[in-house]
Formats: sequence, C-alpha cells, structure tokens
Amino acid sequence: MQRLAQLGVLVILLVAWQLLSLRGLPDFVLSPLDIARHFIAALGTHELYLDAWASLARALPGFAIGCILGIGLGLAAGIAKSFDELLSPVVFLTYPVPKIVMLPLFMLWFGIGDVSKIMIIALACFYPAFINAFYGARATPRILVWSARNMGASQAQIFRRVVLPGALPQIFAGLRVALALSFIVMFATEMINARSGLGHLIREAENSLQFDLMYVSLLTIAILGYAGDRLLRWSRKHFLPWEESHA
Amino acid sequence: MKRLRPYVLILVALVAWEITARSGLWSPILFPSLERIGGQLWAFISQPEGFTQTWTTLYRTFAGFAAGALVGVLLGMLMGRSQFVAGLLDPVFSGTYAVPKLALFPIFIFVFGLGSLSKIALIFLECLYPMTIITYHGTRSVNRVFVWSAQNMGASRAATLARVVFPATLPYVFAALRVALPVALIVAIITEMISSVDGLGYLVTYSLSSLKTDRMLAIVVVISALGLALDHALVALRNRLVYWEKLDTYYV
Repeated sequence: MQRLAQLGVLVILLVAWQLLSLRGLPDFVLSPLDIARHFIAALGTHELYLDAWASLARALPGFAIGCILGIGLGLAAGIAKSFDELLSPVVFLTYPVPKIVMLPLFMLWFGIGDVSKIMIIALACFYPAFINAFYGARATPRILVWSARNMGASQAQIFRRVVLPGALPQIFAGLRVALALSFIVMFATEMINARSGLGHLIREAENSLQFDLMYVSLLTIAILGYAGDRLLRWSRKHFLPWEESHA
Repeated sequence: MKRLRPYVLILVALVAWEITARSGLWSPILFPSLERIGGQLWAFISQPEGFTQTWTTLYRTFAGFAAGALVGVLLGMLMGRSQFVAGLLDPVFSGTYAVPKLALFPIFIFVFGLGSLSKIALIFLECLYPMTIITYHGTRSVNRVFVWSAQNMGASRAATLARVVFPATLPYVFAALRVALPVALIVAIITEMISSVDGLGYLVTYSLSSLKTDRMLAIVVVISALGLALDHALVALRNRLVYWEKLDTYYV
C-alpha cells in the first residue's frame, strides 16, 4: 500500500511535468517522454557505454583504494593507542578541508590522466571510511572483549570475532557515504578536466547546446549512483543479517 | 612533549616537503618551498584583492548553506511530525540521495545564469539532503514520553513543537549542519573551478594554468583554513546552544 502511494506520487510528478512541457517549456527543460526517448536511443549507441565505463573505471578503483586504506587504518587507530595518537589528529584536523582543491596539485604530480583522478577520489573516500571504522572499533563494548578474553580468545580472535562484527554496521555507513562521495568527486574531476567519462560528456553537451545529451548523461549518472547504493544496501543485508537495515 | 605528539605526522610531512623542495631533484614548479608558499600567502592576505575573492566564495557558501539549512530543517521536522508528508517525501530523498547533484550544474547554469545564483542553487540542493534526512531522523527519535507529558499538561500542537520537539531535535540539527557546511564549501569551490571568473576555486585553477604553483598552494592553505575555521565556529555555537548534551566527537 505504502509502495503504491509512493509510486503514485512519482507518476503524478512525471505526468505534471509532461503536461507542463505541452504548454511550452524553455529549450533546456526536456519533457520526461523526450528524455526517455533520447536515453533509449543513446543506449543503442556505443559512446554512452564507453563514457560510463571510463567514469566507473575512475570512481571504483578510487573508492576501493580509499576505503581499504581508510577502514584498515581506522580500525588500527580504533584498537591501538599508538596508531590513534599518530593518525587521528591529522585526520580530524584535515577532515573539514575540501579535498578537491588538491586536484590541481595531483595533476601536476601524477599527470592529467586517470591516476590523479583516482588518487583524489581515494583521498575523498578515505575520510568517511576512516572515521566510521574508527568510531565503530572504539565503540566495542568492553564487556564483550573481557568475556572473550576470559574464555581464552587470542588477540587475533578477539579482533576477528568481536571487534570487527561490532564495527561492521558503522563501517557500512561509512562505505555508503564514501560511495556517494566517489561519484561526486569523479563527476567533478571529469567536468574540470577529462577527455572521456560522463562528466566530460555533460560538459561537451553543454558547450554544444545539445540538451538531449545533457539529460542522457544526467540520467546515466543518476542510475549508476542509485544502483551502487542499492548494491551496497543489498550486500549490507548479506553481511549483517542480524542488523535491521535503517536507511 | 606529550602535547606535541598529535602534531608529529604534520611536522614530518612539512619537513619532508621542504627537503624535497630544496633537494633540487624536482622543479620548483612541482614542489615550491615553504618559504615561497608563505610569501605568496602573505601577498594574498595583505592585498584587498585576496579579501574580495575570499568574500565571494564565502558569500556563495553561506547563501546556499543558509537556504539549504532552513528548508531542510523545516522539511525534516514536517516529515518527522506528519506521516503523510514523510510518505510523500521519503522516497524522493532516499531515491535520489546517492545521485550526484553536481550533474545538475550545467542545467542550473542555463536556468540561473553563469553568475553566483547557479552556484548558490547547487549548494542549496547539496545541503538540503543531509539537513532534511538527519533532522527527520532526529525528530523521529524524540522521546515519546516527553511529548506525551507535554500534551498531558495541556500544551498545544505548536507549543509541543516549539518547546519539546525542536529542542530535542537540536543536537541532530547541529550534526546535520556540521555535515552540510563542509559540503557547501566544497561545492562552492568545485563550481568555481568548473566555471567562474572569481572566487577562490577560480584562483586555484587560474594559478595552476599560469604555473604559479606556489600561489596555488597558498590559496589551498587559505581554503583549508576556511574549512577548519567554519567547522570550529559551528562547534563553538553548538556547544553554547546545546549545552545539555556533550558533543560526542574526538579532537574538536
């Protein structure tokens, strides 16, 4: 019932938009049917897949590198005081700094190709991954650690069987933020300078006033972002069967 | 000695930078020395031009942030207090949450023009999401007993909202503000880097294309300082207004 009502809202919005476009909208606002038509037409061409693939080939490695480093170091800082004292001040101090400003510098060091983009995406993803893993590991109830130790668990066992499962919900929350961030930064870097990718496609469409292409690129990035988020939620359910998902 | 420990890594990084810069292995364009960056920083701060550019960026950041915060808090509280509004808006927000709003920027340029307005509109949109979602969760987690007792003592709907629900949501609102403010600054910088003729983001790309790396890094330092200062100001404000709840963060 709830589903039906939500679907109804969406349909009403789309119909209202379509009706508005019948009365004449400015050139840069396409009607939903037009967008769908152009999108389906673009799906039949080769270019869209190339650009989508180029974008994913930047966002996903950056996301993976940033999250692996962030989760690893975050967990280490969460359980070991020496890591905590060394890393946490730097991470929390630089956290509110917009990481995208490092892009020009990275471009100088690593070239204007994909490496600098992947590095900046990894840097942006590192922060939410680190902070959430850190808090997740730190929030492990002491009682659980004590009882595990009491029952003769080794350090490694305590980490694997107590700390890690306890921190997983928080780690997933961090992954979700990082995934959204990786798409934003990917798009930003491609709009600033790139020769391929969805960000480049939208810039090119803008410069040549091809509004249909703009909406195709927009819709593609929206679908990719949504699909990634769904995939993450699904894997969360798979890895955390005991946790009720609250999105 | 113990107090200095948190800064060890930063100090090591600075020393490593200076050694790299002075080793002569790389061109000073790639690694300008701290001295040159400092000189450019001073030049930037001491001239009125630097102040104007910083103000342009801050103006865009604050305008979009304030609008996003205001609308987001209102929407979030409405969603929290009304099942109908929540059913209407929740799918919209959770469905489009993971979509990069930045992709709308080219369309915004056509709608709102090349100037500040298209940037402010995008900042507004990016801030709206965390503000609405976190406020919504906050309103929903208000202790029911408080609401019941207020109603029991004859408080009107408006009074319950203003005296019970709003203060109880305030910690969440500030949590949302702390998420949204850096986002606002980031989006301001990104949009200025993509298309602008003024602001700090523009200066970064401009300095790079004229290969003045020392100047670019000086501006990066300014932007970083702004991000830090804004966050600290927000935390200070929060601790004054939400004095009954200690901030559950580290190192701030």
